[in-house]
Amino acid sequence: MHTFAYARPATLAEAVALLADRGPDARVLAGGTDLIIRLRDGTLAPAIVVDLKRIAELRPGIREEEGRLVISATTVMTDVAADPLVGRHFPALAEAAAVVGSVQIRNRATLAGNICNASPAADTAPPLLVYDATVVAAGPGGPRRIPLDDFFVRSGVTTLARGELVTAIELPIPARRIGAAHVRRTRRRGHDLASVTLCCGVDEAGLTRLAYGSVGPRPILVVDDSGLLADPAAPAAAKAAVFERMFAAARPSPRSMRASPAYRLAMLRVLGRRALATAIERLAAGE
Amino acid sequence: MIETCPIELTVNGRRRALEVAVHHTLLDVLRDDLQLTGTKECCLVGECGACTVIVDGRTVDSCLMLAVEADGAEITTVEGLAPEGRLSPLQQAFLDRGAAQCGFCIPGQLMSAHALLASNPHPTVAEVQEGLAGNLCRCAGYRQISAAVLATAEGAER
Amino acid sequence: MSTSRIGASPTRVGGHGRVTGLQQYVADIRLQDVLQVKLVTLDCARARIISIDTSAAEQVPGVHLVMTAADLPQPVPRFGPQFVDRPVLAVGETKYHGEPVAAVAADTKDAAEEAARLVRVEHEELPAIFSVAAALDPDAVLVQDPAIRPNDPLARTNVLREHRFGWGDVEAAAASADLVVEGSYVFPMVTHFAIEPHGFMAAPDGDGIAVWSSIQHPNWLQKILAKLLDLPLAKVRVFAPDPGGGFGGKQHTKFEPLVAFMALETGRPCRLILTLEETFQAVRRVSTEVHVRTGFRTDGTLVFRDVEANYLIGAYADIADRTVSKGSYASCGPYRIPAARILARSILSHTPPSTAFRGFGNPQPIWAVESNMDDAARALGIDPLELRLRNLPRKGEAFIPYDTPADGDWEQTVRRAAELIGWGTPLPPGRGRGLAVGMKSGPTTGLSYSTVRLLADGSVVVYAGTSDMGQGARTVFAQIAAEELGAPHDWVTVVMGDTAVVPYDQQTSASRSTVLMGNAVLRACRDVQAQLRAMAARLHGVDESEIVVERGVVRLPDRVLPIIDVLKPGLGRLGGELIGNGEMRKDAEPDHPLGGSAAFFEFNCTAIEAEVDEATGDVTLLRHATVSDVGRAINPLQVRAQDEGAAIQGLGHTLMEHYIFDESGRIRNLGAIDYRIPTSMDLPLELLSETVENDDGPGPYGSKGMSEGALLCVAPAVAAAVRDATGAVIRDLPLTPERVWRALQERPTR
Repeated sequence: MHTFAYARPATLAEAVALLADRGPDARVLAGGTDLIIRLRDGTLAPAIVVDLKRIAELRPGIREEEGRLVISATTVMTDVAADPLVGRHFPALAEAAAVVGSVQIRNRATLAGNICNASPAADTAPPLLVYDATVVAAGPGGPRRIPLDDFFVRSGVTTLARGELVTAIELPIPARRIGAAHVRRTRRRGHDLASVTLCCGVDEAGLTRLAYGSVGPRPILVVDDSGLLADPAAPAAAKAAVFERMFAAARPSPRSMRASPAYRLAMLRVLGRRALATAIERLAAGE
Repeated sequence: MIETCPIELTVNGRRRALEVAVHHTLLDVLRDDLQLTGTKECCLVGECGACTVIVDGRTVDSCLMLAVEADGAEITTVEGLAPEGRLSPLQQAFLDRGAAQCGFCIPGQLMSAHALLASNPHPTVAEVQEGLAGNLCRCAGYRQISAAVLATAEGAER
Repeated sequence: MSTSRIGASPTRVGGHGRVTGLQQYVADIRLQDVLQVKLVTLDCARARIISIDTSAAEQVPGVHLVMTAADLPQPVPRFGPQFVDRPVLAVGETKYHGEPVAAVAADTKDAAEEAARLVRVEHEELPAIFSVAAALDPDAVLVQDPAIRPNDPLARTNVLREHRFGWGDVEAAAASADLVVEGSYVFPMVTHFAIEPHGFMAAPDGDGIAVWSSIQHPNWLQKILAKLLDLPLAKVRVFAPDPGGGFGGKQHTKFEPLVAFMALETGRPCRLILTLEETFQAVRRVSTEVHVRTGFRTDGTLVFRDVEANYLIGAYADIADRTVSKGSYASCGPYRIPAARILARSILSHTPPSTAFRGFGNPQPIWAVESNMDDAARALGIDPLELRLRNLPRKGEAFIPYDTPADGDWEQTVRRAAELIGWGTPLPPGRGRGLAVGMKSGPTTGLSYSTVRLLADGSVVVYAGTSDMGQGARTVFAQIAAEELGAPHDWVTVVMGDTAVVPYDQQTSASRSTVLMGNAVLRACRDVQAQLRAMAARLHGVDESEIVVERGVVRLPDRVLPIIDVLKPGLGRLGGELIGNGEMRKDAEPDHPLGGSAAFFEFNCTAIEAEVDEATGDVTLLRHATVSDVGRAINPLQVRAQDEGAAIQGLGHTLMEHYIFDESGRIRNLGAIDYRIPTSMDLPLELLSETVENDDGPGPYGSKGMSEGALLCVAPAVAAAVRDATGAVIRDLPLTPERVWRALQERPTR
């Protein structure tokens, strides 16, 4: 590994100033489960690494505030998966967080880091999109709220500007009941990166939100407000037609080692059907 | 010019003050600076778990943690599972159940098992398998390892 | 009188070190003033080396040496266990992705890494050969310089060796067969992925050299190094710490010569520990394409079998050709077959050197032949279990002419596996069952020496040159010595892994050690027992012919004494010890196609019950039954762990493991993220492993070798179950969900 300078700011203001000053020479370090790998393989060679974990304002934690669940930037996957509030209001997010890597990875990897890394295969992205998450960022221009769907650009790229860092992820506590499920395809039952990762949420008004990843440069959110998908009695053929429209944006890479485009596209349909069925069941069961 | 940084950490109950290279991982420092070679190096990408240690009560892949991040932390490695010369019940169970074949993955398995039992004293087989899924064993002694963990849990009950 | 140690499962010798982290693997051993070595490689499959500029690398503070081929004796020394083909560093051309071009020795790992990055290798990428078709193309470039094998008619091809075996008249048999079934099968490139990456150290040692290696064959390494360095054997000391998993990938010399030359050049100890990625580039299993054509009578009796196997080996032969000859020789399987023809080729390619890997060339043809048997069972309308039983040789029956006859009750093994899987009982819809048999020849030649010392207090030291890489050899030898000399199990020390101290052992491979070294240990104990007999005769004024020393006791005409009661008075006031030597030799048979007949066979039957999610291709193994004939399990717990481990490792190449290449022959999935092996969550829902023990092996107490058997036929058993469940026939491994899904899409509608 190349050497680098290491900074451990104690306040958010310090961190922002440092990042604004150093720009592309700096990389942010939270859980490290993506960054350390890239430092070691040389795909990243920053001059300075800025460790966020001592910043008072970013202390790990999940709290309810004014109708929103606020997950601070240094909160790790283990805690997201186990949190009772997440489990109650956003169970598909807990499901997704629980399959990111192994226990060891989940004990370090942060939710914020997962989305900032902007891998199209990030398992937490689909449920966060379905649950309408907002990214809260701090930067030289002050705080900014970015709807998650506007946050991802393509693999490795977000809309964060120079000097900005994510301070929290917020989820609006749903006004209507939602049933949701996260599913994915992997090469083995043991921990793995997803070949397809997908979340489907259905609410009691018949709105269906579906998000999927690992089939293109960024996770995609699609919405069916016709009520057709959410209707347990609607014919399968009609639902399939809606799914076709929803999956039209999928552009799986032919270069991927994990799965071919044909398989991924086929699995999108399979997972979409299955996640939808589970979501409808869960809604009916009154979770 | 290699950047170094002073850190203080507790390793297996003993306070250590070190000057570490900033780009060295906790794994590097445990093995090379502290001569605690029980923790092993294999994949270096957080997949195999051979480097698993406990940091502030939780298992981590020490290959994915910079040593500087461990400043102020409490670390337990396999050498710290039992006082010198003795074996913890978990280690004894690993011996009794033949869980160690080539042995290279075993320190990592022990740390994951130790942490699992601390938070879940009566795991099911599935919970043991999932709890230790981040520890690869190519000898594939998974069933013997699981049996040892379950036996330890049972033994603790009595 | 204590009960027998044999068939008990005392604590693993070396287990304490493994559960405390005190066990010292090569990477854990600290040498004073050691220099860290880093390899310089090119990121392409094959390249012509135009020039190497080491000047910037040499400027890095702490760098002592940047070695290239030009710094070695000229012509650059070559080595290899079968062919002396592999240069210590690449000469003029890199022939596989990862072949080292240079190596840096520096005071620290950081300095070595930095310097390695600064070595400038001007090179021209060349087209690489990495498939059988490409290698056999008449216009193909030659992987190996023909000058290396000047008198070989195949030297101007990429075929390193052709092996032809057979008996009877296949064409006549083919004409008389009622049904002929044929198919082509592919076994992928996979790698060992031992959790301990290979490690090597070397240090000048007076007028000789000391070498540390994770090597499975320390004496073989010693021989190769002595030759390369022009030193007598006695001046080459090889330390072989217990490897952290070998599986065959650590059998043969790899980078020890390089590190040795660097140590001699710098005058300092040098240390090279491979990264996991580098191990993928250093060792793999031979991949194959096998075409099988088999003839049957309508009642399922085998009439002939015709096997053509193209084995794609790496750029340097290592021991790959031996895996080809040994594996293909037995490729007709454990069956009574009147006529057979086998043609197997070792084909060179620009890929990492393939080497031994658990199964040693057998899993590949077994994948083909057992799948072919399953095809045939369906075509004939005969139960696949019945088809095997109908053709299995009886114990004592020769099935490969002039070779060792069947050495076990194989029908018993097959019936037990079938029973465990519930063969023949009704299955819920969507589930399928498959069954396969696997057989592998044990060692064909062998030589092991052991020395056993019975110390004055009755404790024992056993010297055995075997490598204990997890199979538990130390424990087995300790059990034998404890049993024979009456010592408590934890009063036996087993010394291994130091050629200066431990007598010669040919190698640790072929599941040989319980039989060959075990017998050597047993004979050394017998030597001690003979001395005890003489002692007892002297002490008690009895004729030696009236005394028997066995299993820890001395039987005099009128009483039985524990050995210690003869030893102590026998040694007398001066004390001392008794030293016994044992040798176990299996001589070569020069007329035999393999140089020797099999010392024993490993025989296994594997039966699988599976369910397939047809929408995704996911295969769920509901039950996996594996039964192996082991003769006698000296340590049942260790035997079970090895059998289950082999079965699960077999699931790796069956369901998920394979190298992925790009269009130019570069390996894309180096390392743990994109090369998947089974985790604890990838086990069958039920894994049932059992042994058949009829005390009919040539090893101590009727034991046979084991530990490869349970891997041999996992793949065809799983594929047969998948076919039974879905109708999909798959002939290429691995059966990943995507590949199963594809096969389901393509199957003829039922």
